[in-house]
Amino acid sequence: MAISRIRKSAGDSAVGAGRRVTLNPKVARRSFLKISAATAALTGVAMTSKMTRKANAAEKKSPYAGSTKVRTICTYCAVGCGIEAEVHNGVWVRQEIAADHPVSRGGHCCKGAGAIDMVTSPKRMKNPMKKVNGKWTNITWDQAITEIGDKLLAIREKDGPDALHFNGSAKVSTEMAYQQRKFAAFWGSNNIDHQARI
Amino acid sequence: MTNSLNDMRHAKSLIFIGSNAPEAHPISMQHILHAKEKNNAPIIVVDPRRTKLAAKATDFVRIRPGTDAAFMLGLINVITTNGWEDKEFIRTRVSGYEELLAVTKDYTPEAVEEITGISAEQTRHVAKVLAENRPTSLTWCMGGTQHSIGSSITRTFCLLQLVLGNMGKSGGGTNIFRGHDNVQGATDMCVLADNLPAYYGLAEGSWKHWCRVWDVDYEWIKSRFPKPELMQLPGFSLARWYEGVLGEEKLYQDTPLKAMIQWGCGANSNSQYNRVVQAYNKLELLVVVDPFPTMAAAACDTDNIYLLPSASQYETSGSVTSTSRQIQWRHKVVDPVHNSKDDYQIMELLVNKLGFADKFYKNIKQVPEDLTRELGRGALTIGYNGQTPERIKKHMENWHTFDIDSLQAIGGPCDGDYYGMPWPCWTDEHPGTPILYDISKPVAKGGLPFRNRFGNEKTYDSSGRTENQLAAKGVCNPGSEVEGGYSEFAEIVPGTNWKTDLSQKTLKVAIARGMAPFGNARARCVVWNFPDQVPIHREPLHSPRPDLIAKYPTYKDKQKHYRLDTRFESEQNPELVKEFPYVITTGRMVEHMGAGAETRSNQYLAELQPEMYAEINPRLGNNLGFRDGDMVWIESPEGSKIKVKAFFTERVDEKTIFLPYHFAGVLMGESLIDKYPEGHAPYVVGECGNVVTNYGYDIITQIQATKDGLCKVSKA
Repeated sequence: MAISRIRKSAGDSAVGAGRRVTLNPKVARRSFLKISAATAALTGVAMTSKMTRKANAAEKKSPYAGSTKVRTICTYCAVGCGIEAEVHNGVWVRQEIAADHPVSRGGHCCKGAGAIDMVTSPKRMKNPMKKVNGKWTNITWDQAITEIGDKLLAIREKDGPDALHFNGSAKVSTEMAYQQRKFAAFWGSNNIDHQARI
Repeated sequence: MTNSLNDMRHAKSLIFIGSNAPEAHPISMQHILHAKEKNNAPIIVVDPRRTKLAAKATDFVRIRPGTDAAFMLGLINVITTNGWEDKEFIRTRVSGYEELLAVTKDYTPEAVEEITGISAEQTRHVAKVLAENRPTSLTWCMGGTQHSIGSSITRTFCLLQLVLGNMGKSGGGTNIFRGHDNVQGATDMCVLADNLPAYYGLAEGSWKHWCRVWDVDYEWIKSRFPKPELMQLPGFSLARWYEGVLGEEKLYQDTPLKAMIQWGCGANSNSQYNRVVQAYNKLELLVVVDPFPTMAAAACDTDNIYLLPSASQYETSGSVTSTSRQIQWRHKVVDPVHNSKDDYQIMELLVNKLGFADKFYKNIKQVPEDLTRELGRGALTIGYNGQTPERIKKHMENWHTFDIDSLQAIGGPCDGDYYGMPWPCWTDEHPGTPILYDISKPVAKGGLPFRNRFGNEKTYDSSGRTENQLAAKGVCNPGSEVEGGYSEFAEIVPGTNWKTDLSQKTLKVAIARGMAPFGNARARCVVWNFPDQVPIHREPLHSPRPDLIAKYPTYKDKQKHYRLDTRFESEQNPELVKEFPYVITTGRMVEHMGAGAETRSNQYLAELQPEMYAEINPRLGNNLGFRDGDMVWIESPEGSKIKVKAFFTERVDEKTIFLPYHFAGVLMGESLIDKYPEGHAPYVVGECGNVVTNYGYDIITQIQATKDGLCKVSKA
């Protein structure tokens, strides 16, 4: 099903055949609904129940006018493949292989080819949450940090800094990993570790 | 990796042990297959399982899990018996060689066959292939490390390469493929219980060094700790932190663990995962910082849990270090989506709330670039100082100017640099070090000798022989002022050495003299600070070969191992195999990553691999009376069990069961899918393979032994 959705949305957004894309079906669909509506208004043609149409040559050539390309690095394994991300109006609309990246040379595995889904997955957490009487509840960042901070300070006061363990990450930037280790040092404990241990 | 993925293109033969690159590092395969096709390089794959990589091998060596050290020592035995060792390399750049031979003489191909199950003929054949096709690139992954003797096994890999003279050479090297995208960078920054950033350790001098970098008073940092001695005591490791919560074991700190921050770490990659779940429920506070809820959200039954939505790494920026030690800038693609915040913002909120922001951010105005600068200023041991944010970004902009074979820029703004300035990159003009320990190039151009880290002379316990630990006369990088071995640099700036001189004058002076700041020494075959000074085979804690336990017993139990005791001898029960007759081992699939929180929430990947399974040999399944596709129970000696689908395949032999470890959301037969926050459960849930991986930890690193436990299987 997922595969058929990719094909369908690629067709809807009029991306030329043979070009390697993975795109967010929702975003692509939305932008073309807008274009369809504008075209309908200009030409005075009433909108039909079919909300999409075939793209014209100009749109085929550049469906995201004014978009920018961002060179970035895949977040899955340590090969460090390049990704060329195309951003349009602040939205990551497409990703392309990085054909001249010196390590990946245009290669992508099935994970890297779907990197865009890391941002667009509907499964992403949307708000800070806590459990209240066993039920998940949205809270504000303010409330979350206040409650977590107060609890941490209370535990530190009562049991000392070694009562906290910090599981850091091999999935964050080096700068952030450095801050995780620095955080433990300033908190006053060596109880910190990350995935490299295992 | 001592070399790089691209450099593997120059290998004349390749050996992989416990590495399955097509699944775990797919894009590395283009370089590996280039060597195979272009150089006619044989590929030897050593694995208990006939993997996708084995399908590309010229020789597949099926090994009993946990016996890799014996096989390597056997290869060294054959090589040295036949005089195929690199005598000149050993004479000039290796120490403790005689002491190594005293151990390897017992690992004849016949003895190795008895331990490993590999025929004596195949051991002889592999040794010959390696001897005749140099240089060899040697790769290992978790299959080599996740054993109770993991640190010995990995040393035998290095010893094989030393004996063959394959170190410091293009096409050679020990090329460990790292797992996660930035596990190299995070390790280098020592998000670790036993080190400060850049492997400085926890000694008083190390703390003082980093306090100077942070520009904070050492006495203040000291005052943050309950006792000064706790500053130098390694903390709980990721492998066993949950025991610190459960309180069933003796702890080496005054309090049990009561709070946990789990930041970008899906914990179902822990062995005995059901014990982790018990720990979740005993914590007073569990904070999960992640773009996805992770298994913790479903597994924790109490109200003491908070989920903080962090942005993905495409919604923030910073540097990442690849397995080839290359530093790349991961540019931000879009702003954080929904109501998520990026890691730096969340850290700032927390640090502000906890009240030490003024000291924490003293030198940090611009995030993340000022952090790159600060960590570089301190991380001199591994040369993270030459890779300024400006240079890293310049490499990204010009990545097309780098040559695929040498990784060196040909012209353009980065002319002469190696891509990503692989560490060590000693100064902001240094090109990076593409191959470690390569004495064919000047240090200023990316060459290096072996590091002088353990003194200049040593008398070995086993032989009583005294040996100079510095490289032989005449062996050095081109242009070196000292023609031969030399000690590490110190006292260029009084009171400092090359690791602690924040002015970096020492580094510059060393390089100007054509020398390596860390000296020019020999690589050691004898590691006198390890329990096995020369590595030997020891049976896994849960061995399927009780007859071998007497000859190859494990270690004595280890006290004060991080912050608790670890059982070795008292855990090695020869009777266990009677009730738990099959070896259990784990690994990856290409469609999922790590604990799977991200990939099982990706609609495309979820469709490609929607179900947890166990690989079982058809003969074993038929003998036990279940069929391909039946549900089976797999039970561990620790009393935990999982219910999974049997997948009949001859990838595994009749005594071994393989589990992918990426699944979560089902615990011991019970689906937890309704316990995720509504709308955030992953598309795919499944039993965590790590519920049934056994007790067992390496004696040095405390890495968990997930690759050689025991289990039993029955129809569900």
